Amino acid sequence: MEFILNSMRKIDNDQAKEHAFGTEQSLEENLAICFINPKDFEKLKLVSSLQLKISNEEKYVIVKVEKDDNIPEGMVAMPVSIWSNRLSVVQNNELQTKNIVVNVEATHEPIMKFKEIIQELLVKK
Amino acid sequence: MELYKFLPKTNCKKCGKPTCMAFSLDLLQGKVKVDDCPPLLEPKYKKQYDALKELLGSEEGQQKELKINIDDKLCDGCGICVTVCPVNARYCPSSLSGKAPEYPPEEHQLFQVIGGKCELLKIEHCRRLDAEGRERECRVCETYCPREAVKIEYV
Amino acid sequence: MKRFTCSGCSLLCDDIIVQSDGLFISEVIGACLKGKERFDLVSAKNRIISPLIRKDGELKEASWDEAIKKAIEIIKNSSIPLLYGFSNVSCEAQDAGIKLAQKIDGFIDSNASICQGKIFNKAKSLGINLTTITEIINKGDLIILWGANPAETVPRLLNKVLFSRGKFRMTGREIKTLVIVDPIKTASFRVMGVRDLPLIIEPNKDIDLIRMLKEECCTANSIPSQGVAGIDKNDLKRLLLHLTGAENGVIILGQGVIQPHPDYDLVEELLELLQMINKRQEKGRISLLIMGGHFNMAGFDHVALSAYGVSGHLEFKHNQMVKTEDTLVSKIEKEDFDSSIIVGTDPISHLPHSLSSKIAKKPLILIDNHSTATSHIADVVLPTAITGIESGGLAYRLDQVPIELNKLLNPPNNLPSDEELLNQLHGLLNKGGSE
Repeated sequence: MEFILNSMRKIDNDQAKEHAFGTEQSLEENLAICFINPKDFEKLKLVSSLQLKISNEEKYVIVKVEKDDNIPEGMVAMPVSIWSNRLSVVQNNELQTKNIVVNVEATHEPIMKFKEIIQELLVKK
Repeated sequence: MELYKFLPKTNCKKCGKPTCMAFSLDLLQGKVKVDDCPPLLEPKYKKQYDALKELLGSEEGQQKELKINIDDKLCDGCGICVTVCPVNARYCPSSLSGKAPEYPPEEHQLFQVIGGKCELLKIEHCRRLDAEGRERECRVCETYCPREAVKIEYV
Repeated sequence: MKRFTCSGCSLLCDDIIVQSDGLFISEVIGACLKGKERFDLVSAKNRIISPLIRKDGELKEASWDEAIKKAIEIIKNSSIPLLYGFSNVSCEAQDAGIKLAQKIDGFIDSNASICQGKIFNKAKSLGINLTTITEIINKGDLIILWGANPAETVPRLLNKVLFSRGKFRMTGREIKTLVIVDPIKTASFRVMGVRDLPLIIEPNKDIDLIRMLKEECCTANSIPSQGVAGIDKNDLKRLLLHLTGAENGVIILGQGVIQPHPDYDLVEELLELLQMINKRQEKGRISLLIMGGHFNMAGFDHVALSAYGVSGHLEFKHNQMVKTEDTLVSKIEKEDFDSSIIVGTDPISHLPHSLSSKIAKKPLILIDNHSTATSHIADVVLPTAITGIESGGLAYRLDQVPIELNKLLNPPNNLPSDEELLNQLHGLLNKGGSE
């Protein structure tokens, strides 16, 4: 299903804080997450044991899902992190981090680990 | 039955119920209070009044205490409650322009942000306890907290 | 008790009380959660206090001599280095970075070019009205948040700007009006009162609102009856009344308005709207304030302007400054660099994957004080003292006011400050002869 991705800052899900004070596990728990409207939760036939796969022509990520009444329908919100930036695009020499068109679907696969993303980048050296 | 034997048993209907038996059932379920029976407030029924108050326990009898709870997990130390509290504004001049008040705190000061979280230092001078008239209904710390971390409760 | 300046975010609060015996910090009073985390960084779990070098694919601890030698080797083997970051360091360190870039023929830029700097660049041709925080405390009566969410990014901003009782606004919150324009109902909406105006706009339709307001400035009564971008007609009329009647208004902009679009330029149209409103204003004027994250995001542009007359990125060839059409994003996209020096920031986490994968391919020198995603990829990591706590310097606040930061403790292991380290690299390149 087609949605709009919006990345925002949240004081409880803060990437810099987790890198400096937390562990890799707390980093994944707090930042590999997204928020959608409860009505969209029903439409996608999600339950608490399923994850969400968000993809666009650049890349994809697999993250946890949570309900939030304040998000309008048709939008998925993620805290700013290395996960949300896999989907950001570069347009005309400028960075676009909000209102990105993405494809979402429910999936059984586990959430994407931090180590996976780092390994992928190191291999290119 | 236990409660009914302390009532006047006159069925005067001054409480709004048809009989004293009906009143005693509502009293047991907490739908009415002992003070809702006007005859019981007269001196000749003082012994029954006191006995009923004691039987029904602290819900009925004692004055409820004011508590201002600040949820540790939700507070982010923004200091809005420190600036907007009228007691802080009167006694700590630096909080008028949004600055943090002095430390050690002034004796009337209610809120202070310590270690990144807001703390309630002492409640004695809160307007809900200390003032008269409309000022007693002050709820600004609860209304303006952006993370809904401050809650005013009576326990 | 003496007050101290916090370096947690770009608001640089100078009313913090810190209790310390010179060795440890025991209590921090008045600072919000972000400030407290900055002071906690001194003893953070993942702090780096000795240099690291990548050997056989893994990062291992090394001595300072080894690490500096490896860094110099990377610089000498590179002919078009890229220097990036410079918003978590003092102005003196930014100056040292520019001198190093000149020595090694590099391209230097700061975080501001993908954040605040975009708005100031447009202001060069249109003009801009600025104001300071103290002005808003003492005289402000209209505050508009557009695409900004201070309750989660700069927690004390709303405290200082909206709730304070300044000299000419002693009634405080009662006399100030708050307007928020945002597609999501964020935490900042919860400080609204009965006289305030929440506007929940449809996603990506800010341009319609701006164009409608511009139209209304020219011809009255042109508000469409069905409203604009999900906002109804009565709210629009109220918004316009506030804009033209406020004595001292301020619009606070955040990340939500600097998004690019192929057909129009949102920032330019917003600045034009501001000019038109100020002409039509009856009593006062509306100014602009731009929120930023790191504590010295505004400083690099000032330092570059005073050193070279150019505010923004700088490129050097044959040790001379050259004019360039490239920006940070275009340089990385074209892969027009062969090594990078990253100072106090984490590009692997905050740049899109298509750019961060290109940075990760080339040799990388990182100057930072705690573990980040970039430190997992770097070839050399050189730790430094924390500015604002273990070393001093100058920094610029979000309203372009310079504030001096002070030293409170000594750094562990005698770590150098960013300025000292960059000057040391500059000096060593002098001796060996530059390439």
